[in-house]
Amino acid sequence: MNLLGFIARNALRNRRRVLLTVSSVAVSCGVLVTLQTLQRELTVPPESEGASLRVIARNKVSIAQPLPARQLAVIERIPGIVAVSPFTFFGGLYADEKATGFAQFGIDPERFRGIMVEGRIVAGDYEGFVADRNGCMVGSDTVERYKLKVGDHMRFTGTFYPVDLDLRISAVFKGTVDDRGVFFHHKLLDAATDGGGTVGTWYMRVESAGVAPRVIAAVDKAFENSSAEVRTETERAFQMGFMSMLGDVKALTLSVSSVVVFTLMLVTMSTMSMAIRERFRELAVLKALGFRRRELFSFILAESFGLSFAGAVLGIAGTWLFWSSINLQKLTAGFLIYFEVTPRIMAMAGVVAALLGIVSAIAPAVAVARMSVVDGLKTID
Amino acid sequence: MAAVPIVRVRDLFKIYRQGDLDVVALNGVSIDIEPREFVVLMGPSGSGKSTLLHIVAGIDRATRGAVSVQGIDVAALNESQLADWRNQNVGFVFQTFNLIPVLTARENVELPLLLTRMRGDERRRQVETALRLVGLDDRMHHRPDQLSGGQQQRVAIARALVTDPALIVADEPTGNLDAKSAADVLSILRILARDSGKTVIMVTHDPKAAAYGTRSLHLEKGEIVA
Ligand SMILES: Nc1ncnc2c1ncn2[C@@H]1O[C@H](COP(=O)(O)OP(=O)(O)OP(=O)(O)O)[C@@H](O)[C@H]1O
Ligand SMILES: [Mg+2]
Repeated sequence: MNLLGFIARNALRNRRRVLLTVSSVAVSCGVLVTLQTLQRELTVPPESEGASLRVIARNKVSIAQPLPARQLAVIERIPGIVAVSPFTFFGGLYADEKATGFAQFGIDPERFRGIMVEGRIVAGDYEGFVADRNGCMVGSDTVERYKLKVGDHMRFTGTFYPVDLDLRISAVFKGTVDDRGVFFHHKLLDAATDGGGTVGTWYMRVESAGVAPRVIAAVDKAFENSSAEVRTETERAFQMGFMSMLGDVKALTLSVSSVVVFTLMLVTMSTMSMAIRERFRELAVLKALGFRRRELFSFILAESFGLSFAGAVLGIAGTWLFWSSINLQKLTAGFLIYFEVTPRIMAMAGVVAALLGIVSAIAPAVAVARMSVVDGLKTID
Repeated sequence: MAAVPIVRVRDLFKIYRQGDLDVVALNGVSIDIEPREFVVLMGPSGSGKSTLLHIVAGIDRATRGAVSVQGIDVAALNESQLADWRNQNVGFVFQTFNLIPVLTARENVELPLLLTRMRGDERRRQVETALRLVGLDDRMHHRPDQLSGGQQQRVAIARALVTDPALIVADEPTGNLDAKSAADVLSILRILARDSGKTVIMVTHDPKAAAYGTRSLHLEKGEIVA
């Protein structure tokens, strides 16, 4: 036996308490990880350089209302705009899926080239996409998810549009904030809707972040009092607007997380102080045998930390396994596609549990340090 | 020829303040104990026997007076020095055995050695020697709840002597034992003093137990009376 063995033996002496502590830490960590992941999934992905340069114009009435294609000529002439492309949400169902977790957009490949600048092509080539009317460019996440490759076909059933698409993968992109989407020639939609004439939104890239406000004002102004007034905003503002529909997710997850952490703290603190009170007399004996305060302190700390840590590892790993094994897309009917428990979130939960383990050790450790051997020996067990 | 005393107590006072009242547990005790003595402390309940034992063994501090053990002024040591000193120089035997319930006999005995620099195999040898001395080398892997009271107390004695301390203190070690077990424990303590060169101080109420010692001291109201 060594000191570590002794600590382990002490920590595990009350099976039921160990089980309860470890499982309550595990469950709390699981809830924490899940909440944080949910928040991350529901809030806007980190702002990229490109996102502040991209501007989206949509119908002022509602995003579901299309815009006339002839607006392009007007927009093109507005100074400060480097590139503009139609950007129309297709909302099709992939293959025979009931719900599809990635978006498809009709774009103008020639024009789009100058807009999505942070991604890179990792398979196939962009020129191939431009050249092939039925070609499409697919995000690497989707390619991996469905085990696709360049040259494969992707068939979509239209939901808003009375047209089904049969696309052939020309290129795969990676490195954008969301590597899931499928981009195809807007022409396919034009053909399906009486030779076109409408687009979903306009997607633009401006010269610099500084000119964005001026450009936004100019685009809005250009169509004021027309049959299709537009509302223009940066890509980020656009996403944020989407977010507001989900309520204040951040505040909600934060408050629930705090409650979970607080409850967990009460649990670990009371468990530890109970565990030590049970053993007060033994600790006094150890003192008599020559164990110093700092040794007893480290026993208590190690025990508390060890139990919390074990709970955290179990809870975090279990949660990770759980979320990576279930088909969330199916479960939420496509509302959540990804539920990626990131290393960062797991580390955060681990640190919280470890800190709680340490905090819970403080009060009992102080009590033990203060205890005189004689008083400790008098404790009845 | 008088040997150099191993324990020297001079004018020892222990006074507990309880509100306005002073409880005098030790009222100017002076004693000298020589090496290899087996001193038995007797006296009525509340006379200060345990208090004296605790102060000599370095787990309690006197209000006034001097205690030196092997020439070391125990009162001058700080908490952590005192802990080290106890580990190396004092073995404890309690009335209620006070073994750690989750550890086997061998592990209980090994406990004080974990604080030393001793290597694992050396510790094991030392532990086995101590357990053999108390006649329990065949019970090494038993936990306290698998041992009788007398056996538990013998494990406690093995734990007290495993670090080879000069001084062994025992506070009513036979108080919870039947006559046969008590006799075993007392014999072991006597052997330790007579043959292993230990100095033993034992508190007891039992005159039969006192017969095992080499000298008896009587305390009454915090004073030595005989
Ligand atoms: N923590 C304390 N606070 C106040 N008084 C105390 C305290 N500890 C001991 N005393 C008092 O000191 C006196 C001596 O106590 P001590 O425990 O040394 O007696 P004892 O001779 O060992 O008695 P017993 O045979 O019953 O064990 C008693 O009067 C006791 O009430
Ligand atoms: Mg007593």
